[in-house]
Amino acid sequence: DFCSSPAGIMLLEVFLVLGTVIIYFLLSRKKEETFLPLKEGWWGKGQRDTEEDTTIRPFKVETTEEELSDLFRRLDQARFTEPLENSCFHYGTNSKYLRKVVSYWKNQFNWKKQVEVLNKYPQFKTKIQGIDVHFVHVKPPRLPEGQSAKPLLMVHGWPGSFYEFYKIIPLLTDPASHGLSDEHIFEVICPSIPGYGFSEAPHKKGFDSVSAASVFYELMLRLGFKEFYTQGGDCGWLICTNLAQIAPSHVKGLHLNLALVTKMGFIHLLSILLGRYLPGLFGFQDEDVRRMFPFLKKGLYKMLLESGYAHIQATKPDTVGCGLNDSPVGLAAYILEKFSTWTDLEFRDLEDGGLER
Amino acid sequence: QTILWFPRSFEYSQKNAVLLPVAALGVGGILVYWLRSRHKIKTIEMGDGWWGSGERPLKGKEDESIRPFKIETSDQEIEDLHRRLERARYAQPLEGAAFDYGFNSNYLQKVVAYWRNQFDWRKQVEVLNKYPHFHTTIEGIDIHFIHVKPSYVPHGRAVQPLLMVHGWPGSFYEFYKIIPLLTEPARHGLNEGDVVFEVICPSIPGYGFSEAPHQKGFDTIATARIFHKLMNRLGFKEYYVQGGDWGSRITTNMSQMLPQSVKGLHLNVVFLGSPNLRQMLSVMIGAYVPWLVGFTREDVQRMYPFMQKNIYNVLQESGYLHIQATKPDTAGCGLNDSPVGLAAYILEKFSTWTDKSFLHKNDGGLESKYTLDELLTNVMIYWVTASIVSSMRYYKENLSKDPALSLDARIGVHVPTGIAAFPQEILHTPHVWAKKIFSNIVTFSYMPRGGHFAAFEEPRLLAEDIIHFVRKVEKL
Repeated sequence: DFCSSPAGIMLLEVFLVLGTVIIYFLLSRKKEETFLPLKEGWWGKGQRDTEEDTTIRPFKVETTEEELSDLFRRLDQARFTEPLENSCFHYGTNSKYLRKVVSYWKNQFNWKKQVEVLNKYPQFKTKIQGIDVHFVHVKPPRLPEGQSAKPLLMVHGWPGSFYEFYKIIPLLTDPASHGLSDEHIFEVICPSIPGYGFSEAPHKKGFDSVSAASVFYELMLRLGFKEFYTQGGDCGWLICTNLAQIAPSHVKGLHLNLALVTKMGFIHLLSILLGRYLPGLFGFQDEDVRRMFPFLKKGLYKMLLESGYAHIQATKPDTVGCGLNDSPVGLAAYILEKFSTWTDLEFRDLEDGGLER
Repeated sequence: QTILWFPRSFEYSQKNAVLLPVAALGVGGILVYWLRSRHKIKTIEMGDGWWGSGERPLKGKEDESIRPFKIETSDQEIEDLHRRLERARYAQPLEGAAFDYGFNSNYLQKVVAYWRNQFDWRKQVEVLNKYPHFHTTIEGIDIHFIHVKPSYVPHGRAVQPLLMVHGWPGSFYEFYKIIPLLTEPARHGLNEGDVVFEVICPSIPGYGFSEAPHQKGFDTIATARIFHKLMNRLGFKEYYVQGGDWGSRITTNMSQMLPQSVKGLHLNVVFLGSPNLRQMLSVMIGAYVPWLVGFTREDVQRMYPFMQKNIYNVLQESGYLHIQATKPDTAGCGLNDSPVGLAAYILEKFSTWTDKSFLHKNDGGLESKYTLDELLTNVMIYWVTASIVSSMRYYKENLSKDPALSLDARIGVHVPTGIAAFPQEILHTPHVWAKKIFSNIVTFSYMPRGGHFAAFEEPRLLAEDIIHFVRKVEKL
């Protein structure tokens, strides 16, 4: 019979060799780089300084009468466009509701008071890779005997800021006072991503999430931390992930409230097409299926409807931001639209975008 | 050459002598019916609409008067503008960025300095008023248009009515340089006056001095219908139409809606709708054997390298389209409040869409093709009418539906068509693809230079092509 003939044996040998080669090839491909190379950059103006100032300087947010009166003047002369009848938040921020917000902004919002609120946590600035990096550093008020505070780096996203963490910080630095278990107590560091808020903006092209991760890595080292936890959502998720890839030995744990697929492979595509019918095959839980399908409606169309800002910001940021830097009302409309729609998509059907809920 | 249905033979039986003629009549009848139904042109239904505030009034006829209109300004308007320009806040551009990240704010500051100190809006208003303006109410909203008649018509010559429609971020003002070339061609050395036009340039509702629709759903088909009503109200039964950008889609819809009224359709941009498999295949094959798929050498030069010119470029340049087609009220809010932001947003297009290489210039190459006065006049039209948000809504109304399902995608265009293909246009449509939708292309011209704002940038070239096209149609 064929299998025992010399030709058959030779064929078998060929298959074995081929099989081994293929398996070896697959296995060797799977072994990936264990870490991302650290990207050292220089983001300051002009040429690189020879000596970098590594001091950590305390910082306080300040405001002036001039700043306030300039704001009020701009709010006073805001020009609005009537929304289409029955459009709610489907065309973007509804200008009827925006008028109410601006009126509150002019008459009841107290910026001086809010500055005091911002200053309740200690803030600092330090120069890293040529730019001033701003951060909040909150230590726990008391530590039980024998326990040490775990350092936690929390990174914001767009259009957020370090301020997003103000409510959660006490729950992490002082859990016992808030009815939470004090098994783990944290000291929290919330930096502002360079180009956001009180952190200086990079002057050179090319400042991406890996660059931000390397800046924050230097920050944590400068603060004396050898190991730390890191948490991120929105753009923060990518920076924190990159941090874990650059310096895995320093990142004790990575917590994310957003994770996106950056490389779409063939299996992913298959799982989208068939996952609804064979969830078990692709490892989907019931909750996964509920949230992801029908894919076109919940995935693709939703993404297309909500990603206009990402498209224009990824291509012409200087154009789109120009007017927003000059018109506080325009800035508010642009940013608040996200706080409405990204909190709950159903809020688009509401006249007030559900913002004050 | 007729097909012989029954060869003459004396061996026919009596039965065949009856059956065969009957079968012939049957088949012949089917053939005739099929041929006739192919020629019966499918059109877009005209329908009707109401775009005013609230409910449509049940009683009373619409006010059909045509009211003369003059653009005005005031000291208050100019002072308000100056104050905003003086207080503008800028962000430093990145080192070496030129126009890669959008409008370069260093150059923007120079433009704003000119705008504040040298630009004279009162003088520009007089320039705008040199042509007669009118308003008329159609479907509940005030439609603005200019109507320019030739001052002198040679004896016996017919004057062709020509409707020219602008796009975004343009306006009726884009046509100011080309109008005299069309109403008085002989005086400008274009021809002997055999083809003379009277030109009507409306503002699309929501743009400039045309009232913005108050109801959702105002798309190019509604616009096409309104412009037909406008021409009808002006007393025209047959007319030529010309357009680029949105104007191209609107005039195309007009030709699909009332082909008997459109003597000829001239376009400087062709929109094809979603690509089909055949087109994608021809792109791949065309890279190696262009003649096989009907591409000319000029086509090849303009379309390839395909990925870079058509995919990457389009992705790079379509951010505005994406955000305007989804969140126009958000995108436009700040621009309606900050004239500097408005200028940056609009003038970026006048830079990049005129010549793609302008992206690498620190000043966006703007002043190499246009004067600051004319660029800023166009921006001022959006500013003084506060129409940027409503102009952006047009994208959402037209692009949120599935393009394959739209009415106009399945109906061809059968009126005589002339296409002027400018080299720096964002996307090039080869003749062989255009033929699939436009069955009656009379002229297809590869223009030697020029970009998206053809009438504004190269009025003479465009006028020559329009005249060349109309001459051919009139001789037919």
